[in-house]
Amino acid sequence: MSRTVEISPLTRIEGHLAVHLETEPDESSGFRVKAARCEGEMYRGFEQILRHRDPLDAQQITQRICGVCPIPHAIASVRAQEMAYGIRQNHNGRLLQNLILAANYLHSHILHFYHLAALDFVDVTAVLNYQGSDRTLKALKNWAAEAVARSDPFAAAPLLPRYDGDYVKDADRNQRLVAHYAEALEIRRICDEMAAIFGARVPHSTAIVPGGVTQVPTAERVLSYAGRLKRVLDFIEAVYLPDLLEVATEFPQYFEIGRGCGNFLSFGVFEQDAGDSKFIGAGAVINRKWEAVDQAAIAEDVAASRYAPGPAQHPSRGQTQPQPARPGAYSWLKAPRYRGQPMEVGPLARVMVNYLNPSATWLRREVDAFLAPLNLPVEKLISVLGRHVARGLEALWIARQAGKWLDQIELDAPATCDFELPKSASGFGLTEAPRGALGHWLTIENYRIEHYQCVVPTTWNCSPRDSQGKPGPVEAALEGLVLRDPSQPIEAGRVVRSFDPCLACAVH
Amino acid sequence: MATTAPTTTRSLRSFTRRDFLRAGAFLAGLYGLGRTGAVTLAEGLQRLFERKQLVLWLQCQSCSGCSVSFLNADHPGPLDVITRMASLVYHPNLSATQGEQAIETIRKLIRHGHYVLICEGAIPLGMPQACLLAGQPMLELLNDALRNASLVVAAGSCAAFAGIPGAEGNATGAVCVRDFMEKRDIPVDKRLINCPGCPCHPDSLVATLAYVAARGYPKVNPQLLTPDMIYGRSVHDDCPRFHYWQKNAFAQRFGEEGCLFKLGCLGPLSYTNCPHRQWNGGINWCIRAGAPCIACTSPEFARRRDFAFYRLGEKYHAVTYHEHERRGDKS
Repeated sequence: MSRTVEISPLTRIEGHLAVHLETEPDESSGFRVKAARCEGEMYRGFEQILRHRDPLDAQQITQRICGVCPIPHAIASVRAQEMAYGIRQNHNGRLLQNLILAANYLHSHILHFYHLAALDFVDVTAVLNYQGSDRTLKALKNWAAEAVARSDPFAAAPLLPRYDGDYVKDADRNQRLVAHYAEALEIRRICDEMAAIFGARVPHSTAIVPGGVTQVPTAERVLSYAGRLKRVLDFIEAVYLPDLLEVATEFPQYFEIGRGCGNFLSFGVFEQDAGDSKFIGAGAVINRKWEAVDQAAIAEDVAASRYAPGPAQHPSRGQTQPQPARPGAYSWLKAPRYRGQPMEVGPLARVMVNYLNPSATWLRREVDAFLAPLNLPVEKLISVLGRHVARGLEALWIARQAGKWLDQIELDAPATCDFELPKSASGFGLTEAPRGALGHWLTIENYRIEHYQCVVPTTWNCSPRDSQGKPGPVEAALEGLVLRDPSQPIEAGRVVRSFDPCLACAVH
Repeated sequence: MATTAPTTTRSLRSFTRRDFLRAGAFLAGLYGLGRTGAVTLAEGLQRLFERKQLVLWLQCQSCSGCSVSFLNADHPGPLDVITRMASLVYHPNLSATQGEQAIETIRKLIRHGHYVLICEGAIPLGMPQACLLAGQPMLELLNDALRNASLVVAAGSCAAFAGIPGAEGNATGAVCVRDFMEKRDIPVDKRLINCPGCPCHPDSLVATLAYVAARGYPKVNPQLLTPDMIYGRSVHDDCPRFHYWQKNAFAQRFGEEGCLFKLGCLGPLSYTNCPHRQWNGGINWCIRAGAPCIACTSPEFARRRDFAFYRLGEKYHAVTYHEHERRGDKS
């Protein structure tokens, strides 16, 4: 009596993902997921395209891996080049890169909660009953009501159609969340303006180069960023985080759903000073034990992936040889493993890694302070809602810290440094994208890129099975999930979207 | 040139004719269209708001950058674009619908017809499994969507010219929308508009849709199918650093004043109106930030392995391109 459920396409993520579920009837009269497959459905092949190109092309080309998070790719690429060229960013270069990246995090997290994930929870039809005087809500009500009245076959698109499901019940809450969805569109646009103030433009900043940023920071630039940052920080504090808690209040069961593999990895991000310290620290957690990251322990397995078969390879040696019709392969993603283990990456991973780091940090204090009034142990964050909470908290911390970086800028001083191009060299850049741990590995021969490999956050999260048959984190998080109606598997979407998948990134 | 966009802080108050004229004038000013152009765009915007053009947005080999860029539209703003200007029947990043219901929605729209198809991303003609949808190559759905559309807009350089997926050495045989349409005998003439850019500038997309609503198919470059009103002039011709070029005053390092040509600027090869509208609400743009133009609207953008964006490599090794290629000269 088992039943296969296929969600293809899974929308409101970035990129092409199909989710395949094997289910069996559950005593609750729903269907319980026995096994899940994440199937990455699109391939471009950046690692081949980069071969034999000038190394300086890399931070431009690799940004096009993803238009939602191009900045982390630029950062990882310039870090790999900086290692190869033997340079470090100067004072301003480091700060401006942090500020461009911070703005990218803020746009990405706000986009994710409101425009990607929220429609799984919020009942947008509640706006039809709105009686108040808020102009945005009134206009949305008229928009939807007029379409329904004239029997528009595509009424209220893209907010409809949708799966039936157990959406938020409280009418006021729904209406507030809908109004905030609208406001969030403007706020995330403002975040992109912040990124462009120093990054020239986004998506795809042309101003990030090895050693820093081409934009010279002036007082006017700094004030432009600061003014927008204030508005965004207000939104995070007064709207985004409260909305998170509102959703959590109506869906407390999602603190018990979607645990995943329980291992976490972070490469750390936002260099604080000339040393190696990062604002959000690095670490790996396997079986609840923290350890320092050893990047040599990373390998990409291709057992279930549409590539030429072979043993799992460290990215400094790995190849990408597509075999689209390879028997047994079900995904265009490789399966990254750390010491043979699947690892979750992203905001929750960054929180767990830093929370469990025995050298106690500011982050543990912040998380404890947030959880205390909710009476929630930190263990409960390893869940669908926990991922959303971690993402929101991180947006708050980064927005606050960005103000400090602004203050440290040396006005009117250059943000770049000189460097030489080596004939042969290698390097790697490890950073954290909004969605998690990101690494670029580069080898230069004869002044050209000889080898370039990326291991990208969603590659970790949406990874297929490895040669040991171990599922990836999202595949594991779906196991045991109960679907009320397998023809409208809204619960599965909630689990997958909590990881904020980016499939263009994952495959690259 | 003053470039800060008028902020549209009122999201959904009903727009008056004066609002449309203002928005249209702003867009027209950016595109150098003059007074008549302003009225045309205002009419177009108004028609879009009244009629709500049906839009189907499909992505193939894309990074979603053009979609994110589209959300940065400021006049009209993001919410007006999504709920008032167009009926965005399906968009992979934004639609509530998913799975089979999403496929049904797309199919229903294709059967209905009378929609603008916005294509983002290149098409893996040489490796159809490089873009699957519900287990099948997406080419087939794309084929049907292209055939029944009343207009096709290739948004971004991947869709317009194959972009980075179509660069030298790619394994998927990635092609642009036009090449795919011609291969499948889907009529192109007066049905396809290319709006390149990596990403596509939101104003380029909005202005194109507004113009089509008001006046139909715009005047385009006959080879490239790019609207002249947006892509008619080169970045070099209108560059604020042009006076440095004329004096041969070149920046030697990133961050310096001076013409950026010696650092790699491809302004002479880049036909688009960045110097006028700039980016992200006019807050900045590549050359203003000291970043050399990488010609992201060019049909040759990123195509050749040996044609680097930056010229630092010339200091260390021989290169196979000639300087005149970077100037856009014939010889």
